[in-house]
Amino acid sequence: MTEKQQQQAERASMLGVIERLAGELALAEEPARFIAALEGEDEAPPRA
Amino acid sequence: MLEESLTAVAESIRAGKLSPVEAVERCLERARKWDGRIRAFITLDEEGALRSARLLEAEAAAGRWRGPLHGVPVGFKDLCHLEGQPTSCGTRTPEYFTSAHACTAAHRLLEAGAVSLGKLNMTELALGPFGDNAHHGDADNPWRAGHATGGSSSGSGAGVAAGFFAGAVGSDTGGSIRLPAACCGVVGLKPTYGRVSRAGAMVLSWSMDHLGPLAWTARDVALMLQVMAGRDAADATASRRAVPDYLAAIDHGIKDVRVGLPENYFFLGVEDEMADGVRQAARQLEALGARVVEMRLPDPQHMTDVAMLIARVESSTLHARLLREQPEALQPAVRARLELGMDISAYDYLQALRLRAKLTRAFIHDVFEEVDVLLTPVIPEPAPAWASLKAATVEEFNARSGRFSRLTRPFNGYGLPALSVPCGFTTAGLPMAFQAVGRPFDEGLLLKLGHAYQEAAGWHLRRPSL
Repeated sequence: MTEKQQQQAERASMLGVIERLAGELALAEEPARFIAALEGEDEAPPRA
Repeated sequence: MLEESLTAVAESIRAGKLSPVEAVERCLERARKWDGRIRAFITLDEEGALRSARLLEAEAAAGRWRGPLHGVPVGFKDLCHLEGQPTSCGTRTPEYFTSAHACTAAHRLLEAGAVSLGKLNMTELALGPFGDNAHHGDADNPWRAGHATGGSSSGSGAGVAAGFFAGAVGSDTGGSIRLPAACCGVVGLKPTYGRVSRAGAMVLSWSMDHLGPLAWTARDVALMLQVMAGRDAADATASRRAVPDYLAAIDHGIKDVRVGLPENYFFLGVEDEMADGVRQAARQLEALGARVVEMRLPDPQHMTDVAMLIARVESSTLHARLLREQPEALQPAVRARLELGMDISAYDYLQALRLRAKLTRAFIHDVFEEVDVLLTPVIPEPAPAWASLKAATVEEFNARSGRFSRLTRPFNGYGLPALSVPCGFTTAGLPMAFQAVGRPFDEGLLLKLGHAYQEAAGWHLRRPSL
């Protein structure tokens, strides 16, 4: 495997998780909820 | 000296049994003698260290004590900006790395009386888990010549183990404090995201970076964290939470603390000897009163992938100018990692950040309803021999790099505190370690557990013969 091919494989592996899981995200899910989760200030957003 | 713990050095100075100048001179003597092999330093600041030590000695003689680290020699990873000193970030282009701010965490340690011996070796741009550096030399493991130190905070781990200073600051974006701590047989703490300000330190990934301490014992690390932690106007992500007294309860024992041993992910692909070392440590914790249970975790591989994607994009963005203007100045593997992040779309990056929030919330809920602390291996194999790493093809090297940090990286994604504690030696004489992971901002419990274990097991009393 060339270096370029390996980069492509690593990229595909990282993007695979987005393909698999992003569809389950609630509309209200947003990056700032990460800090809220650590600070114990967040509940799961509603699914709608 | 400085083979004593940081706490012992601080106490000796306070008791007048050791002067700051003596402490620094003994460290310098060891560094002059052994750093040709260990390569812990990028900049050894002999003159500055002695000048500070003399000043602190005079202050002590006059009854003025700056803080709990008065006269204690320390070192800083060479991505911490310190006034009047260049910051290479492990590259050969320090001109790309300037900062209007001195590193807050380093500054707080110096304000508490610590003496800086200099700036420490690291993997180029903190990208890589072994401690190799083509520009400043590969750091060498104090326990066994010719073996990696772990990285990227290679000089921080190796320098503590070699007795060049009593404590060090490292940074951790995917394991870069815990990996060198594990490989070098010292304690290393990646605090909760936001517990320690990152202001004045090179940014590799603003979402994943953490600064933290390395030293011989959990008590030492508690003392350093006490000084380093807390809100900072210069870092928008620094938590406003009050900093607890980490030392107040450190001797209180771990009776009835619930410890979880993961059934999935963390013991897969781990060499038997390393896994056995962690399980033996779990039995020791049980003997100390902890309740150990096996448990299944929400799949950490998801967070590993998410954290890797976020870190790649952010590091590429941050170092785009260097990559564009001087790509030939970067090691090929580092350049390849930066290039990779350029190909990720905004859609994928933002979905990764949203997934991070969801996965973190679920992990905290599912795991810490059942246990107080997770116990895992830190490294899947002992510190590798440099010869085997250098003989590998680029593909093999990169694959091994990914495996080497897969046990630490999830907790950068989750932002949870994670403590690496030595738990014995392999038959080849290389250090083994366990990783204790806790609830957000529960560093105190991890330090208490690490301290109880060290007091019982005694591994922290061993020293490498250089």
